[in-house]
Amino acid sequence: MELADRAVGFLLSFISLSIFTYYTFWVIILPFVDSDHFIHQYFLPQEYAILIPVFAGVTLLFFLCIFVGMVMFKSNKKKP
Amino acid sequence: MILLNMIRTEQCFSHLITCTMKHVVKILSILVTISAIWVGLLQTSIVPRSHTWLLPIYFVVSLGCYGLLMVGVGLMQFPTCPQEALLLQQDIMEAKEFLKQKGVDVSSD
Repeated sequence: MELADRAVGFLLSFISLSIFTYYTFWVIILPFVDSDHFIHQYFLPQEYAILIPVFAGVTLLFFLCIFVGMVMFKSNKKKP
Repeated sequence: MILLNMIRTEQCFSHLITCTMKHVVKILSILVTISAIWVGLLQTSIVPRSHTWLLPIYFVVSLGCYGLLMVGVGLMQFPTCPQEALLLQQDIMEAKEFLKQKGVDVSSD
């Protein structure tokens, strides 16, 4: 059990660090690289740098609302 | 005695409030600084506009990454004390035995 928790923690930190590195490269460093450089083929166009986080945030909020709603519904049902 | 306790509680409470106030002021000043720099970048347009518009989203994403990293590190270094858990289980067994002898029903479930 403890090992599984540790593995999940390691996975979470690894995912967050890799996302941060990739996004920093994408947003901060890439505008200063020539547009015909080979590194550009590893990154999506600049518009997706806005679209993907916004989409992810909206999805997260959606699932959070559904979760909270379900919990409230269940607790309301239990009372009477 | 009660008055003294009340005064102590009051002091604790005010200390807590000032602590949170300090924290709020810190966070607010950081936010104001960042937005001032951002507005300055937008106005002077040293960097192309389309890239300056990306900066707030970049900050939100990095904040999310920081939160995820902190959760991961906290999970990795979660303090557990197996010896104490064993001792606690022994204590619980002992207490259950004792209470059963006295005729108290402590069956869980």
